[in-house]
Amino acid sequence: MRRENRRMIFGPIMSIVLLMVTWHLIVVLGNVAPYIAPRPLDALASIRDNWHHLWPLLLATFRETLFGFLVGASLGIALGVWLAKAPFTRRVIYPLLVVSQAIPVIALAPPLVLLLGFNLAPKIVVVAWVVFFPVTVNVLDGLAGVDGDYVTLARSYGASSWRTFWVIEAPASLGNLFTGLKIGATYAVTGAIIGELAASSGTSLAMFQHAQSAQLDAAGVYGTTLVMTALGIAWFSAVVLVEFFTMPWKRRSTARRKSVRP
Amino acid sequence: MRRFSARLSLAVVMTASSIVTVAATSTPAGAANKLTKVRFAYVWPSPDALLIPIVAAQKEGFFKDQGLKVSIVFPPSTSTTVQMLTTKDADVALLTTSDIPVAVAAGAPIVSIANYSMKNNWGLFAKNGSGLSLKNLKGKKVFSWGDNWTSAMLPFVLKKAGLTNRDIEIVTGADDNALLMAGKVDFTTNTTNYGIPGILGATGKKPIAITGKKAGVPDVPVWVYGVARPYAKKHQETLIKFLTALHHATMWAMETGNQGKAVRYFDKAYPNGYYSHAYNVRAWKLTVPLLTDKTGDLFMQTKKQWRDMADAMVSVKQIKKAEKPEQYFTNSYLP
Repeated sequence: MRRENRRMIFGPIMSIVLLMVTWHLIVVLGNVAPYIAPRPLDALASIRDNWHHLWPLLLATFRETLFGFLVGASLGIALGVWLAKAPFTRRVIYPLLVVSQAIPVIALAPPLVLLLGFNLAPKIVVVAWVVFFPVTVNVLDGLAGVDGDYVTLARSYGASSWRTFWVIEAPASLGNLFTGLKIGATYAVTGAIIGELAASSGTSLAMFQHAQSAQLDAAGVYGTTLVMTALGIAWFSAVVLVEFFTMPWKRRSTARRKSVRP
Repeated sequence: MRRFSARLSLAVVMTASSIVTVAATSTPAGAANKLTKVRFAYVWPSPDALLIPIVAAQKEGFFKDQGLKVSIVFPPSTSTTVQMLTTKDADVALLTTSDIPVAVAAGAPIVSIANYSMKNNWGLFAKNGSGLSLKNLKGKKVFSWGDNWTSAMLPFVLKKAGLTNRDIEIVTGADDNALLMAGKVDFTTNTTNYGIPGILGATGKKPIAITGKKAGVPDVPVWVYGVARPYAKKHQETLIKFLTALHHATMWAMETGNQGKAVRYFDKAYPNGYYSHAYNVRAWKLTVPLLTDKTGDLFMQTKKQWRDMADAMVSVKQIKKAEKPEQYFTNSYLP
C-alpha cells in the first residue's frame, strides 16, 4: 500500500482512538457516575446489546436522509443553475434563500408535522431544507468562478449555451458542487433527527434515545449518538467517494512525490 | 479645655461609627445572608401550575420564616431533572414518581421525601363529540410523550381495553394538543390538570377524559419531591424546614379564598410563561383535589404506593426488579 494511502487510513483511525482514550480517561479519572456518562466501551456494548432495536430505526433514519438529501440536492442544483443564468431573478430570490436559513429548523418541524403528518414527508422536507442552501450557494459560486475565456472560446467555436454549460461550466463548478453536497450530507442526519423529535409514528432513532435518557441509560444514549454520528460520517464518505469517481482529473492533476534514489 | 473637646469629639465619632456598624449588620440585607440556599429543580423545562406551592411559599415568606432562600431551576429537557440532583445542580426536585425506581435501578442515589399528589389522575383524552372510548381504541392513534410515566401506564390502559401495543398506533412527539386539534391523533395522554385545561381552552368544550380507575391504571401518585441521598444525609434540618414551609404554602394555596391569589403570584413570577392566566386557574383548581389523601393529609407516602409503582414498572419491563419500598422513599423529613 502506498505511503500516502496508509497515512489517509491511519490518520482517521488514530483520531478515533485518541478520542476514545481521552473520553475513557475523563470518565475514569473524573469518577463520573455511569448514569451520567459511560465509558466508551460501555457505549459500544450498548450498541451491540440494542442492535435489534437500533437496526430498523437506523434504516428508517437512513431512508429519511436519503430522500431528503436527493430532494434537497436536486433543488439546490436546479436553483443554483437558474439563479446563475438569471441575474435579475437572483437579486430577487437570493435574499429569500438567506431568510429561509434564518428560520431555526427546530421551529420549522412542528408546523410541518401538522401539515404533513408524522410519517416520512415532514422529515424529508426538513432534511431537504438543510441540504438545499449550501448546495445552491456553492453551485452559484462555482458557476460564477468559471473562467470567462473558456466560455468565450467555446462560443467562438459555435457551441450553444447548453453545450457550453455541459462541457465547460458544469465540469468547472463540480468542485464547488461537491463542497456543498458534503456540507449538506453532514447536516442531513441532524435534519432527520429534528424531524423525528417533532413527531414520529411508533418510535424512531431520536425517540429511542429520548427513552434511553428517561431510563438514565447513559451508555444507551451515548451508543445511539455514536450510531447517528456513524450515519453522518457514512453520508459524508459516500459523497467523497462519488466525488472521487466523478472528478478523475482532480487526483491525476497532482504530481506524486517520489523518493529520490541515489 | 481644647484638648478635652478634641477627646470628646473623637469619642463621639467612634461611638457613632460603632452604632452604625452594628446597625448595618443587623439590617434585612445582613439577615438575608444567613438564609440557607436551596435550589429547587422543576420536573419540566418550562414553568406551569404545579409550581404554585413553591411560588406561594416564596411570595408569602414561608421559606424565609424557616430560614431558607429557595430558587427555582429548570431542566434542559424532560428527562434530566434526576441527573440535576446527582450532579448537584439542584438540591430538591419535583419528579414523576416513575423516575425514582428508574433512578434506583440505574444506581443513582435518589430518594422520594414527600408526595406532591396523592392520586393517579393520568389517562387518555379525546375531543368532545369524537365518540371515542376504550371500546373503540383499537386502530386509533395515541400520542405519547415517550417518558417513563406514559410508558409505564399505557400498557395498563391497553390491558383494560383488551388490546396490545400492536392494536394502536403510538405517536411520539413534542406537542400533544396541536396534533389532537389538527386531527393527526385520536387520543392524547396526560393528567387531568393539564389535559382538561389544554383542550377546553382550545375547543371551549371539556374533553373526553378516561383517567385513573376508568383507564385501568394503578392508583399511585404521579409526582413526588425527591433529593439525592448524600444531600439528604448532610442537610436533614434543611429538608425538614423546606417541607414545613411547603406544607404551609400548599395548604394556604389550596384554600378557596387564596387560590386566585396563588395563581396571580405564579403569573407575576412567570409573565412570559407558556400558559394563559385562565389555563393556570383551571389547572390549579384541578390540581387541588389531588393533593390530599383520605385523611386530608399532604405529603405522606406509603409502602403500598411504592410497591404498586415498582411492580407496575416490572410488569411492563421498565425495570428488572422491584426493590423494597424503603429504597424508594422516606417520610423522615415530613413536618
